[in-house]
Amino acid sequence: MKTVLETRHVSKIFGGLVAVNKVDLVVPEGAIASIIGPNGAGKTTLFNCISGFYKPEIGQVLFNGESIHGMLTDKIAAKGIARTYQNIRLFKNMTAVENIMVGFEPHLEHGWVAAMLKTKGYQKEEKYIIKEASHLLHYVGLAGLGDHLALNLPYGAQRRLEIARALANQPKLLLLDEPTAGMNPQETDDMKNFIRHIRDDLGITIILIEHDMRVVMDISDQISVLDYGQKIAEGTPKEIQANPRVIEAYLGPGAAALSEKYRKEKTHDA
Amino acid sequence: MEALRKKIPLTLPQNSIKIIRIIAALLLLALVIVRAIDVAAESQFGADTWLRLSVSGLIIGGMYALIAIGYTLVYGILFMINFAHGEVMMLGTFGGYFVFEAFNAIQVTATDGTQMSFLNANPVIAIFLAFLMGMTIAALSGYFLEKIAYRPLRGAPRLVPLISAIGASIFLQNAGQLLFGPQRRQYVNPVVLDRGIGWNLELSGSTVVLTYTGIFSLVLSAILMVGLYLLVQRTKLGRAMRAVAQDKKTAALMGINVDQIISRTFVISGALAGAAGVMWGIHNGLFNYFVGFLPGIKAFTAAVLGGIGNIPGAMVGGLFLGIVESLGPAVLGIDFQLKDVIAFSILILVLIFRPSGILGEALSEEKV
Amino acid sequence: MNKQSLQKSAASGLVFGIIVIFLALIGFTVVFSGLIQKVLGQSLGVGQIPRIGNFFIFLGFLGIWNGWRAARQDSHESLTLPKVLLRAFVAGLSAGVLVMVYAVVVGGLDARGVDMRTYLSMLSSDSIKFFLFNQSVAMGGLIHVGFSTLMAVVGGLLAFGSEKSQEQVKATRTKVQNWSQRTWLGKVQGNPYVSYVLMGVVLLLLVLLPRTWGAYWNYVMGTVGIYVLLGLGLNIIVGLSGQLVLGYVAFFAIGAYTFALTTSPEPHNLVWNFWIALAVSVVAAALSGVLIGLPILRLRGDYLAIVTLGFGEIIRILLKSDLLKDFTMGPRGVRNIAGPTLFGRSFTSDVDYMYIIILAVLLSVFLAKRWQESSIGRAWLSISQDETVAQATGVDTYKYKLLALSLGAAFAGLGGALFASRNQFTGPEDHALMVSINVLCLVIVGGMGSIPGIVLGAFVLKGLPEILRELESYRLLVFGALLVVMMIIRPEGLWPARRPKLERPVEPDQEPAAVAITVGGKQ
Repeated sequence: MKTVLETRHVSKIFGGLVAVNKVDLVVPEGAIASIIGPNGAGKTTLFNCISGFYKPEIGQVLFNGESIHGMLTDKIAAKGIARTYQNIRLFKNMTAVENIMVGFEPHLEHGWVAAMLKTKGYQKEEKYIIKEASHLLHYVGLAGLGDHLALNLPYGAQRRLEIARALANQPKLLLLDEPTAGMNPQETDDMKNFIRHIRDDLGITIILIEHDMRVVMDISDQISVLDYGQKIAEGTPKEIQANPRVIEAYLGPGAAALSEKYRKEKTHDA
Repeated sequence: MEALRKKIPLTLPQNSIKIIRIIAALLLLALVIVRAIDVAAESQFGADTWLRLSVSGLIIGGMYALIAIGYTLVYGILFMINFAHGEVMMLGTFGGYFVFEAFNAIQVTATDGTQMSFLNANPVIAIFLAFLMGMTIAALSGYFLEKIAYRPLRGAPRLVPLISAIGASIFLQNAGQLLFGPQRRQYVNPVVLDRGIGWNLELSGSTVVLTYTGIFSLVLSAILMVGLYLLVQRTKLGRAMRAVAQDKKTAALMGINVDQIISRTFVISGALAGAAGVMWGIHNGLFNYFVGFLPGIKAFTAAVLGGIGNIPGAMVGGLFLGIVESLGPAVLGIDFQLKDVIAFSILILVLIFRPSGILGEALSEEKV
Repeated sequence: MNKQSLQKSAASGLVFGIIVIFLALIGFTVVFSGLIQKVLGQSLGVGQIPRIGNFFIFLGFLGIWNGWRAARQDSHESLTLPKVLLRAFVAGLSAGVLVMVYAVVVGGLDARGVDMRTYLSMLSSDSIKFFLFNQSVAMGGLIHVGFSTLMAVVGGLLAFGSEKSQEQVKATRTKVQNWSQRTWLGKVQGNPYVSYVLMGVVLLLLVLLPRTWGAYWNYVMGTVGIYVLLGLGLNIIVGLSGQLVLGYVAFFAIGAYTFALTTSPEPHNLVWNFWIALAVSVVAAALSGVLIGLPILRLRGDYLAIVTLGFGEIIRILLKSDLLKDFTMGPRGVRNIAGPTLFGRSFTSDVDYMYIIILAVLLSVFLAKRWQESSIGRAWLSISQDETVAQATGVDTYKYKLLALSLGAAFAGLGGALFASRNQFTGPEDHALMVSINVLCLVIVGGMGSIPGIVLGAFVLKGLPEILRELESYRLLVFGALLVVMMIIRPEGLWPARRPKLERPVEPDQEPAAVAITVGGKQ
C-alpha cells in the first residue's frame, strides 16, 4: 500500500525539554491512524511538526515521498495536509460559510485585479466556491447555519465547522486534534461515524489524536502510543490493548502486572 | 509538464531569505564603517568633542533605560505596549517641577543670616521631595491608567488595548497642555545642581565639563536600576511578578492575586518613569507637556533593542541607544537634527535583522 | 440599606467631583457653557464669559448623570424609592463637597490676588469667579454643594422612573414596530427600489451641494473627503488585514510630495500634467508600501506598529532637514503646485476641487467595496482574526499583508496628491504623526472594516470639529478619551461592519449522501 505520510526520527526540543523524541511514523493511504498517549506526551507537538507550525530540530517529514521539512504552513496546506485544533480556532467574526470559503484559498486562481474588475472567470470561481462551501456545510450537517458568525455557533457545530474548513482545503491527509473533546456520548458517537465517513466518502487519510479510547479502538486501523515524546508502541487496536508498556504509561509502573492479575482473576471467576 | 504548470512560489525559501538578510546586514555595516572612516579622516572633531558626546549619550541613555524598564515590565506581563508610558513620565516631570517652584518661593534665613530660598538652603531635602513627588504622581497615574484604560480590556484582542493606550496617551498629553499651558518651562535647580557647573577635564587642550546634573542623573539611574533588579530577583513581589509574566493562569492557581500584581507592575514602572522625568527636567531644564513623547518612543526602541520583556536588556538597550544617538551624527558626519532618524533607523534595522533584540531570546513560539 | 452600596455611591460621587474639577481646570466649563449659550440662540462675543445660567445647565446635566449612575449601580436588583433617594443624595453630596473644597481653595487664592495662570494656564480670575457663580467664595461653594445634591436626587428619581416605566416603553416599542411593519414603512424597508432612490438623492445632493454652499463648506467637506480616502486605505490595512500601522502618514507624505515635486516649478521645474502626476503619486505610494512591507511584515503586530511609527517620523524629519533641502525645499515646503486641467481648461475653483474629491471618494469606495467583498477581503479578514491559523489554512499571509499595505498606501497617495494640489502647497508639518492618529481614530470610531462607518467617522472626527469651532482646543483631548471609551464599551465602532449572507440552499438529491448527524444545540 502507498505511504502518505512518513516521519523519520522527528525530534522537537524546547529549551532543555525534548517534546518529541525521534518519532518514526508511517501512515498508509486511506488509513485512520491514531496517536494516543498521556497528557504532555508530545502528541500535539508532533502534529505541529507535521503541519509546519514547528520545524523539527532533527529528522524529516515526508509527504507522498516528498520532504516538507521547513516549509511554511500555507505551502504545506496547499500540498494537501489540513488540520483542526485542540482548542477550536475558527475565524470567529466571520460567518460559517466564509470560514469554509477561506479553506478554498490554496486553489483560487484569481487575484486582486480580477476581483477589482469582477472578470467573468473571477465571478465563476466565486460562485463555484460559494456552492461548494454550502455543500460542505450540508455535508458536515450544518446546513442552514451558514450565515451565522462562527463564534455564535454551539460547541459541537464549531468542531464540525473546523473540519469543514479543513476539508475545503481538499486535503489528502487530515489531522484531527481531539475532535470529540468536550462532547457527550451521543455527539461522540456521531463524530466517530462522521470521521469514518470522511475516510470512506472522500478517500482522505486521517491521523487522529484522541483521548476517548472507545473512539480510538473502534475506528483506528493503526495506533501509535507516545510517552514523554517517544513512541513506545505501535500496532492494531488489539495489540495496543494488550501491550503492557502502554498500560504502564497510562496508569503508572506496576499497573500492567496488576491488570494482568485482575484479568486472570476475572477469567478464573467466570 | 506537470512540474512546469506548478506555480512559482512568490516567497523565497526560508534559508535564502536568511542569507539575503545576512548579506544585507554586512553590506550595511560595511557602508557605515566606510563612511565613518571617511569622516574620521577629515578629523572634524577632537577628542574633547567625542568625550562630551559620549558622556551626554550615556546620561540620556540612563534615562531611556529607566523608562524602557517600564515598557519591558508591562510588556513582559501583559504583552502590550503601554503607549502612554511617555505621558506618565511627563506627569512626573511636572511633579518635580512644582516642588522646586514651591521651595523656590519660600524664603528662609540661613544660618549665616542671609535670606535665601528654601530650595538653596536645603537642597538635599528639596531634591529628595521633588523625586518623591514626581515618582508618586507618575506611579499614581500609572496605577489609574491601568485601572481605567487597560483592566476592562483584559482578554480582548491585542489591537484593542493598544488602541486604548494610544487614546490614553493622546488624552494625557492634551490634558497636560490644557492644564499647564503650551509654553516651555524651565526647571529652577538648586544652586548646587546648576546646569553650568561640573568637573572640568582638560583634554587635548580644551576643557570638557562633566556637569553635576549629568553625573547625578547617571548615578541615580544606576542606583534605581540596581534597586529594581534586586526587587525583581530577590523579593516576594518580584517573584510574583515573574510568575505572572510566565503564566497568568497558573500563577492565579498558586494563590497570586494577578490583578494586584499587574497594578503594582504599573506602579513600579510609573515610579521609574517619574524619576526619569524629574532627572530630565533637572538635567535638560526646558520642558513642556510634550516632553514625554520622544523619550517614550525612544525608550520603547531601547526596550526592543535590548529584547523586550528582558530587564537587563532594557538597561543595555537604553544606554546603547543613548550613545548611538549622541555619537551617530558625528560618526556619520551628518546633521545633529537627524539624530532621531538614526534612532528610528536602528530600531527598524534591529527588528529586521534580529527581532529578539540584543539580549532577548527568541520569543517562545505561539502555543497552538 | 447596606453600607457597601452607600460607600459605592460616595465613591462614584467623588469620581464625578474629580471630573468637574478637571473640566474646570482645563477651562472646559466656560467653553461648554458658552456653547450651550450659542445653541440656545444667544450671542456670545469672542473672549466673553457666558451667562451663569448656562453653567447651571451644564452642571445640571453632570449632576443628573451622577445621581442616575449612583442609583443604578447594580442592574440586577429592583429599586425602591428610599434606596434610590439615599444613594443619589450621598453621591450628589460627596461630589458637591469635593467641588466645594476645590472652589474654596481656588477662590480663596484668587481673592488674595494670586495669579495661578503661571502654573495652571486656564485658571484666570474671570473663570474662577464664573466657577463661583459670581458669588463670594463661601456662597459659591455652598451653591455647588446644594445644586449638585439637588441634581443628583433628580437624577436618581429619573433612574427610578425609567426603571418603572421600562416595561411600558418596551411594550410601546413593539407596538410601534408592529405598526410600522404592517403599514407602508415595512414595505419600504428591504425594497431594493428604495435604496436606488436613496442613492439617487445622495448623488443629486453631491452634485448640487458644492455649487450652493460656498467656499468655506467646500473646504471643510473637501478635507472630510480626503480623510475618507485615507480612512478607506487604512481600513484595508488595519480594519481588514489587522496590521496596526501607525505611520500611515508616510504614504500620505509620499503621495503629496511626489505630486508636488512633479508639478511645481520649484525646485525641479517639472511641470507635469495633473492627471499623469496624480497617477504617478498613487503608484509611488503603492510602491513605497511594498518596499516598506517587504522587510517588516514578518514582524508581529505591535512591533509593526512601532516600526511604522518610526518610519513615518523618519520621513517627516528627512523632509524637514537640511539634508534634502535642495530636493524637497526643506522646512519651507513646496509651493505653486499645479491644479487639474482637462482639454486645456483648468479646474481650480473650490467647486471643481470638491467635484474631483467626490469623484475620487466614489471611485475609492467602489474599489474598496469590491476588494472587501471578494476572496481577497476574506483572506485579509482571516489574517486579522487568527494569522497562524489563516496561514495553516492555506492563506499566503505574507503576500496578502503586502497587498493590503500597498493598496492601502495607494489610497493615501491619492489623498496626499489631492491634498497638495488643493492647497497648492505642502510642507513637512502637513505630515505630522497626528495625521496617522486622526485617520486611525476615524477608522476605529466609525467601525473597523465598515465602509459606511468610515464615511461616518470622517464626518464625526473631521467635520464636527469644524462646526464646533469653540471646541477646537479640546478636540484631541476628546479623541483620546473617546478612543479609550470606545475600546471599552463599543470596540466594533459606531457603524459596525456586517457580514454578507452567502449560504446557498443545497438540493438534497444533488448531494452525495450526507451523513446523518445530530448536532449538539442545533434543533
